[in-house]
Amino acid sequence: MDVVGLLIFGALAIGIVGAGLAVVFVDRITAAALLMAFTFLCNAGMFLLLGAETIAAFQVLIYVGAITVLILYGVMFTPQGDRPYALFFQKQTPLAGFLVAAVAAPVLALALTFRDPGIAREGGGDLQPLITSIFGDYAVPFELASVLLLAAMVGAIVLVKRDEEDAK
Amino acid sequence: MTAVPLPAFIAVSTLLFFIGAAGVLMKRNAVVILMCVELMLNAANLALVAFSRRYGSVDERGSVFVVFVFVIAAAEVAVGLAIVLSAYRNRPTVDVDELHQLKG
Repeated sequence: MDVVGLLIFGALAIGIVGAGLAVVFVDRITAAALLMAFTFLCNAGMFLLLGAETIAAFQVLIYVGAITVLILYGVMFTPQGDRPYALFFQKQTPLAGFLVAAVAAPVLALALTFRDPGIAREGGGDLQPLITSIFGDYAVPFELASVLLLAAMVGAIVLVKRDEEDAK
Repeated sequence: MTAVPLPAFIAVSTLLFFIGAAGVLMKRNAVVILMCVELMLNAANLALVAFSRRYGSVDERGSVFVVFVFVIAAAEVAVGLAIVLSAYRNRPTVDVDELHQLKG
């Protein structure tokens, strides 16, 4: 069981990190969007490995389903070509890479040297603790989140709607 | 499923987060930047779920915040794409270096 879990974890970790790197470094944007969906799927596998089945189901429904479709919609409606001209004075890539590496190295070292106190809980689904928390202590934030979704939906419609004069 | 140690999950989460951060800083296509923001949110979700499951006997509520992150991510990508499309209508580009109308 231990070996199988470690193997699954290794495959999922390679999938997440490899596909994430490919999203950043691949040039074809549709391929990047699909690789992003693959990263989300591997992340859902990680959630399953951790025993959080409900979160994994949400992950597949919302990220792999909805958000990937939205991103592909954005890819479809915007032009994806070469840059019209080169911006010679904006070479931020080496600086960005250096900054990220400088911040990432200590954080990664901290993560790898983190000592697990070993108070792991026993198995069991995550549905009941999730639901009792959401509809108990976090009921008001949960309702506020639905208001936020409504506001985002209306805002997106208003932003994308064409004006009447433009349509003519 | 306590076979895999917790630091391994945190390391994968850290790597994915900084891959996303590098993408946000390096890419110039607005849609790709949105994708990289989603990668960073997913990395945070992984860390939240890992801590929440492993310290479940102390407090199980990390997963609740993952649900809220899902909501925020959906709202963010919807509004973000709407902004990109409306900027594209004003000026036919999604290159963030060329969208400089707000520059003083």
